[in-house]
Amino acid sequence: MITLSHLGKTFGGAQAVSDISLTVPEGAFLVLLGPSGCGKTTILRMLAGLEHPTAGEIRFGDTAVADASRGYVMEPGSRNAGLVFQSYALWPHMTVAGNVDWPLRVANLGREERRARAAEAMEMLGVAGLAARYPGEISGGQQQRVAIARMIAPRPRVLLFDEPLSNLDATLRVEMRTELMRVHRATGATAVYVTHDQIEAMTMATHVAVMNGGRIEQFDPPERLLSDPASAFVARFIGTPPANLIPVQAGAWFGRMPDPALRGATGHGMVRAEDLALADAPGPDTFAAQPVEVVPMAGRRLVTGLAEGQRVTAVTDLAGPVPSELHFRLPPAPAAIFDPKGNRLS
Amino acid sequence: MTARAGLRARLPAGLGLNLGVLALLALLVAAPLMTILMQTLDPERIGAWSDVLASPLSRNLFWLPALNTMALGLGVAAGCVLIGGFLAWLVVMTDMPFRGLVGFLATLPFMIPSFATALAWGTVFRNGRVGGGGGLLEGMGIAVPDALAWGMTPTMIVLIAHYYALGFTVIAAALATVNGDLVEAAQMTGASRRRVLFGIVLPVVMPALIAGGSLCFAGAVSNFAAPALLGLPVRMQTLSTRLFGMIEIGQVERGYVLAILLIGLSAVFLALGNRLLAGRRSFATISGKGGRARRFALGRARGPLTALALLICLVTTILPILLLIAASLAPMASSLFSGWTLHFWIGEADPAFARGQAGIFNNPQLLRALTLTVAIGAVVAFLANVIGILVAVALTRHRLRGISEAVSQLSFLPMLLPGIAFGAAYIALYGAPIGPLPALYGTSVLLALALTAAMLPFAVQTGRATVAQISGDIDEAARLTGAGFFRRIGAITLPLASRGLLASLLLCFVNVISDLAIVVLLYTPTTPLLSVLSYRYASDGFHQFANAVTLVILSISTLAAGLATLLRGRNRPWLSS
Ligand SMILES: Nc1ncnc2c1ncn2[C@@H]1O[C@H](COP(=O)(O)OP(=O)(O)O)[C@@H](O)[C@H]1O
Ligand SMILES: [Mg+2]
Repeated sequence: MITLSHLGKTFGGAQAVSDISLTVPEGAFLVLLGPSGCGKTTILRMLAGLEHPTAGEIRFGDTAVADASRGYVMEPGSRNAGLVFQSYALWPHMTVAGNVDWPLRVANLGREERRARAAEAMEMLGVAGLAARYPGEISGGQQQRVAIARMIAPRPRVLLFDEPLSNLDATLRVEMRTELMRVHRATGATAVYVTHDQIEAMTMATHVAVMNGGRIEQFDPPERLLSDPASAFVARFIGTPPANLIPVQAGAWFGRMPDPALRGATGHGMVRAEDLALADAPGPDTFAAQPVEVVPMAGRRLVTGLAEGQRVTAVTDLAGPVPSELHFRLPPAPAAIFDPKGNRLS
Repeated sequence: MTARAGLRARLPAGLGLNLGVLALLALLVAAPLMTILMQTLDPERIGAWSDVLASPLSRNLFWLPALNTMALGLGVAAGCVLIGGFLAWLVVMTDMPFRGLVGFLATLPFMIPSFATALAWGTVFRNGRVGGGGGLLEGMGIAVPDALAWGMTPTMIVLIAHYYALGFTVIAAALATVNGDLVEAAQMTGASRRRVLFGIVLPVVMPALIAGGSLCFAGAVSNFAAPALLGLPVRMQTLSTRLFGMIEIGQVERGYVLAILLIGLSAVFLALGNRLLAGRRSFATISGKGGRARRFALGRARGPLTALALLICLVTTILPILLLIAASLAPMASSLFSGWTLHFWIGEADPAFARGQAGIFNNPQLLRALTLTVAIGAVVAFLANVIGILVAVALTRHRLRGISEAVSQLSFLPMLLPGIAFGAAYIALYGAPIGPLPALYGTSVLLALALTAAMLPFAVQTGRATVAQISGDIDEAARLTGAGFFRRIGAITLPLASRGLLASLLLCFVNVISDLAIVVLLYTPTTPLLSVLSYRYASDGFHQFANAVTLVILSISTLAAGLATLLRGRNRPWLSS
């Protein structure tokens, strides 16, 4: 179990992270999701003990590992946590086996025990065949696997990952996602995983904290982020494709198509791509757009158009050529309404 | 037309260029070396080998100088790695203030010729043992022991003060690539600070330390000026001073044998270093995006360490120059700051003063030396860089199996060759007439050729960097328009590379005008050079004049180096936070 309460961090006056509170149970897979610079790495490094919080507390189970009010910080090495760096941080002067073995040596394990654990970790990640090679002699994907093997060999209770897949190519990334989930299940440890890729978050997480500007926008299981986004920021960030946020003005779509379902609101109405349809001809509930792009996806087509300067995407069964003007048909009601600041109204 | 096109299609692109640069390198680098080797293997002269290596003479001829050379090389390498590494660590990895200043100052000593530092040492520590006046310390009534005035210790200190800049540059560049994540990954395991230092940090930077150390070793064993000025007066010989002495007294074959042995010694050590460096344990960071660099907080040691770093830098850069200035004005080094006169600079010959020597600007030799030095510096810088660019283009754009390897090896070979051995090789080949060609000995052509060859590694390296900056696509786009090779070089490559090239020209120029080791054997009274003039003055005991000439060299090279720094911009990646 990991608990963060009112966690904050400033760097010489600049607030990187503020007022982060959340709890995940033992064995959870927590993903910190957000755009670059929102403070994800800072939180992860505070969990690792490499950075000291300037406010709040971190608990692993019943143990406080950092408490800013008491000025207490537990050493990284005593936290029973492992970290996979974005750069992998493999020690270039040690072989693959040496990299996996070194943390076990530091832990003063016996020779037999070390051999068994290193072998087990390398087997689990499929890098046992590379044991005698140096990091400079293996591919990026293999380095990634070695970094993970090195982390799990001492059997930490907390696994920390900083955008571990961001340097891999697309196919490898999909493969490693599965691999990581397998490792997580096999170790039973609690994982905290940092990424800016919402697909990774949606496929791997049991809990997701969507972050923006150093704060949590929403903390929920992945499905809830889709079904019930707490803010316009989350709605725009999550989903493939993400939902459309169409401007509304005093209860009218685009300020000119009044709709009682908008209840007089001003801000944005959220319309999911699958709720938006293409009409053959203009009608009372349609708006016009110039076609921008068409992406085939899972046997259907994502059609994106530009309506009053706004990109709008619908999932369609459109066949044949794309007409020179599109007509999108709005659903009976928006899935959510946000005020101009992005707060959820209904 | 069709025949020509057909011929072109069958020959690999760039064959002509490759063969051309190969021939040039063969003439400049390979031929002199082959000659020196062949001459000592000549049945009539092969006896020189046994004279040097196994005869009653060989103890003094080879073994003692070799021992001195080794001791000097190892001592200097250790000192440079220690001092250069210490400064590099402070500048790259810690939160020391004035990092930029220290990083800049620490690269300067290499710009100051080692004979300048050696002369400056003399002004302070010289004692009366070998005649001539004492230095500043003796003037203050402090007796300077011989060990500090002459021989191994001062030579080693002066060379460390000169070469640590090389160690600093190599180590700082390497440290800058060491990813801070490596250290944090080790901290995560719970390892102690000590264990992280010895288990991770030191092994990771070891290749850089070895690279820096072996370069300093090679520099120290081939240095001529420092042991000649500080060691010869008390008969401490190194291989380079021995080699110089043999050729001066006409025992040329023995000199050649010593040259080959000296090349062998420095090659063995550079090869050892390379071998330790080779292959997979490279310190280069492996893939992955790096984290933000995190600086090590010095805490309470910050003040003292900063002071120490600044002290080291000042003592090795500004202090020697100030000492030289004072010593070029003071009639007696023992009272450095009194009785200052401009006589040594501009005085008329006066039998009552300085044994009748006129000030350097009244010495007709000086003006000739000044013009010749600057002219040769400019010509050599130009030639070396033209060849450097051609070699770089051949190596990066038109690699050909077999030829390219030879070109690359030959162009870097002079790096392994001690300057004085290089000079000897040039005498061996071009000192006598070759067929219808006249002997070049005593001409400035010989000086220019030898110096050009010696500058090649540097010129090729900067040439490669400049050519690499210009992506192949740009050149290929020009090729598609049908522009020929030289047209493309003139219209595309040169304009784009001009800044880097100009900087490289200036640095080459600086290296040439402050060289002593190569030219000391090739120089004749008809081709005087400033560095040789300074050395002659010093070995004849006219220290003030030597200092003044050295200051002339220093002013010219400071101007050029300053200009080069301006052109290059602040290209020191390890200073970015
Ligand atoms: N050591 C540091 N010193 C100063 N500012 C920092 C430091 N580390 C992070 N920051 C700042 O904190 C903010 C969050 O950074 P980070 O946690 O790395 O974001 P993310 O990982 O989400 O991209 C950024 O604005 C960054 O510039
Ligand atoms: Mg980050």
